[in-house]
Amino acid sequence: MDTTLPDASGPSRADMDATALEATTITVPRPKALVKVEEPPKFDLDTYIANYAGRTRYDRLYLIGICSPLLSIDALKGAIDEAKINKDVSRYEKAVRALAEVAPSDPDASLDAAWVQETNRYVQTQTERLEHELRGYKNNLIKESIRMGHEDLGNHHYKTGDLAAASKAYSRMRDYCTTPNHITSMLFKMVNVATERGDWMSVQSNVHRLRNSQSKPDDAAKNISKITAASALSQMHQTLYLDAANSFLSIPPDLGDTYNEVITPNDVAVYGGLCALASMNRDDLQKNVLDNQTFRTFLELEPHIRRAIVFFCNFKFRQCLDILEAYRPDYLLDIHLQRHIPQLYKRIRTKSIEQYMIPFSRVTLDSMAKIFAPTVVGGEARPTDISSPFVQELIGLIQGGILNARIDLEKGLLVSNQIDLRAEVQRNTLESLREFNQEAHWRILHAAFIRAGLEVKPDEADASEQGHGGRFP
Amino acid sequence: MTLLSDIISASAQLHNSNHPPSDEYDRQVRELVQYFRRLQTTKALDSLANDESFLDRFDPAIDSIPYLFVLHVQIQKAQELNADSFPADIRPSGKLWICAAHFLTSFDGVQVKYAGREWRQLIELVGQVSQAASMASATLVKDAMLRLDPSCAVFTSSHLLLVRLCLEAKAYSCALPVLNKQICHFPISLGSPPSDPSVLCADHGSGVSFMTEDSRISSKLSYRDYLQYFLYGGMVYMALKEWRNALHFLGIVISTPSTNSVSLIMVEAYKKWVLVSLLEKGKLCPPPSITTPHVAKVYQSIARPYIILAHAFERGDLKRLNAEIDAANGVWCADNNLGLVTQVVGAFFSQTVIKLGKTFAALTMVDLSKQVFPSPVSAEVTGSAVSSLIMSRDLNATLVQTKDDAESSMLRFSSIHSLPRLSHELDLQSQLKQEMKLMETMVINLGKTNHNLGLSDEYVDSLHKGQVWSGSSEVNPIVGVEAGLEMDEDLMGDMS
Repeated sequence: MDTTLPDASGPSRADMDATALEATTITVPRPKALVKVEEPPKFDLDTYIANYAGRTRYDRLYLIGICSPLLSIDALKGAIDEAKINKDVSRYEKAVRALAEVAPSDPDASLDAAWVQETNRYVQTQTERLEHELRGYKNNLIKESIRMGHEDLGNHHYKTGDLAAASKAYSRMRDYCTTPNHITSMLFKMVNVATERGDWMSVQSNVHRLRNSQSKPDDAAKNISKITAASALSQMHQTLYLDAANSFLSIPPDLGDTYNEVITPNDVAVYGGLCALASMNRDDLQKNVLDNQTFRTFLELEPHIRRAIVFFCNFKFRQCLDILEAYRPDYLLDIHLQRHIPQLYKRIRTKSIEQYMIPFSRVTLDSMAKIFAPTVVGGEARPTDISSPFVQELIGLIQGGILNARIDLEKGLLVSNQIDLRAEVQRNTLESLREFNQEAHWRILHAAFIRAGLEVKPDEADASEQGHGGRFP
Repeated sequence: MTLLSDIISASAQLHNSNHPPSDEYDRQVRELVQYFRRLQTTKALDSLANDESFLDRFDPAIDSIPYLFVLHVQIQKAQELNADSFPADIRPSGKLWICAAHFLTSFDGVQVKYAGREWRQLIELVGQVSQAASMASATLVKDAMLRLDPSCAVFTSSHLLLVRLCLEAKAYSCALPVLNKQICHFPISLGSPPSDPSVLCADHGSGVSFMTEDSRISSKLSYRDYLQYFLYGGMVYMALKEWRNALHFLGIVISTPSTNSVSLIMVEAYKKWVLVSLLEKGKLCPPPSITTPHVAKVYQSIARPYIILAHAFERGDLKRLNAEIDAANGVWCADNNLGLVTQVVGAFFSQTVIKLGKTFAALTMVDLSKQVFPSPVSAEVTGSAVSSLIMSRDLNATLVQTKDDAESSMLRFSSIHSLPRLSHELDLQSQLKQEMKLMETMVINLGKTNHNLGLSDEYVDSLHKGQVWSGSSEVNPIVGVEAGLEMDEDLMGDMS
């Protein structure tokens, strides 16, 4: 026993260590295993970031800083400034660490210990002061003061980066809200916090509450654009692209710069356009996107998205895909789009192949490859061979049931399947007749077995088995 | 000699009477059978046991009952005389065997209905005698069964006997006329003697009414009998490669109602079900929906290797399929399913090629073998396999040999249009008609089942009404409120 015990405990401890290691390796690299965007994006960093307000500026700068080697130093410096202004120590440290990896010799790449200490102390005292004030208000039992006390505390936490505490403080405001306006503003604050935390379910539920809040009609009209934008964003993050597209398309044009802390009109155009491209067919795109008067104002901000959609509707898939490909680095540096770009692009591509095939009964693989795989055509000797990636992609689509066609490798054609309705009906009839007969017979017999008292019974079987057992010895 | 004349006069009476069906005829046949049973018990018939000329005097087509009884006695006598229970006379080509065969091929179906027990004993004897697995006795039994009851919709012990004989004699197609008739009933005990005896000789078209337990046409049945019958029947279909019918029969076995236990026969059937469903449909079919859930669980655990094999098949991974087959080789041998398993490998190839036909309109043989086989195979192997598939009409395609070499020959899958339309349509039409006929007989049998179970339209109607009533009781609160209102009015009336 003595010898086995350490053996038994040894591996288990090792296992625990291993699992702990795994846990850390899973949690740690996830933020670092981000996409590296080598190509230069088309936007200018300063003008891009000037569009935004609030804490999202830091988030965006930091993301660009760690994903794009070209812009990393500028972006991270901007992020450090941003964190310093907001007195957010943890973010400051994070940005400095990232900068130290990229440019160790930069003067900003070392921690300003004095500032950190001072800021920590300042944040601490500020928190204590606000909490003290809040206690005072509570003793006085004045609702409005208590609400404002909570709000101040929440704002302070939010600004300095303690999001959990911020959302707790905001949710405590609820009991002390006296007018619909208070409720609306509280809910917006909670939406902002949840957006930053990436808690999309909470965004969705708060948006729902906002929609149901009973504020005055003109106030409600003012808020509707922000509400819709938040809801669309959360739908996109839950990969409900069609819902998201419809929500983006219905955002009223008066959104303007009012929601800069989360989303700009340019973003609305890009997100909405891409989601629509990925989830709608050509008719719907024409009707809901291009002919949509409210969305037109957004689209005018991002004309290339508009052009891509027009190309898609006009059957020019190569140009559409080219435009999207050209803007891929931009979108990969967007904080909300980054995760969804591969999925969205894949869907757009699949859909364009599918739409391309619709009017034809047979297409040569060469002409398809020219549109959908130009690099392959240039690079390989036999672009339409079975082993070429484009043909493999087609095979995958056919086997997945997306393309209703067959590949003719002899003539290099993609032949669409034509259904012979008559044969189909005959086959179905025969099949269902047979199935019915079979099932009916099974059921009739089932009833007959029971009626005749001939179910398989345990006692009889046991008895006979015992009989056998008795006979053999 | 008086006995002989008695018998002749008794059966002559029968000839004179009216044609069936009539009460008069029914009464006379019953009397005749009673008479012979009495003679049998008093051993009076023994005097005829050695009279060989007796049987020649009667024609079994007209005097079925006397012939049957006397034949019976003679066989008994022969068995008593010899120590051997199957003396030479009874064996095929023996004297009594010829008589029995003569009787079984020409007896009068109506008369024999009254002497079911003796008929069954004769059939069983014929089955037992032919140990040498001869096809003759199987054919005899089959013909006799169809003669007695052309619909064969009632399960009897002779069904099992027939299928066993056919399997032993490897005379698979011999069993088909009976197997193809759908069994829908079992001999049931009526409890009390039938109130309306005249039905026996009437033309029923089906055996439900006369094949009761009292008639003794079937011996006492247990659940093993019919499980075995359907399993053997499935095996007959498997031997003939009629996979659909085999699947149907196996489905009956595995969906048998059971209380708390599973018969090993059912497990056997499930193993075969897995393999046959792969052969017929190319995928693992779930057991019929009426299967008891706990039984389905038992199958899952006992037939584990089979299910793993089916998953490998479904995934389209030839390497894994072969590995699974090799790994569980002992299991297939022990279950006697090795033959089916080898056929599954063949089916895998054809299924994969047919599936490729959904993706490709044409491709070279080299590409095809790359898609089907994980390891490189010589071109001749694939070529011959594919051409045999095409020739057996499992695959609708053409193989085009290009002139340079066999390597680059092209397989072109035909689309539905290129089928020879007319013959295809005719084929379909006959299949549809066949299914129609099946359904019609099933509807008739369903009506009889309903009758047996006491499920008439009126009963269902009243049941439905009962449900509506109980449903309306839930709406009672409204009625209650109204009643309350009326009460109020009454009170007011009293006040005034």
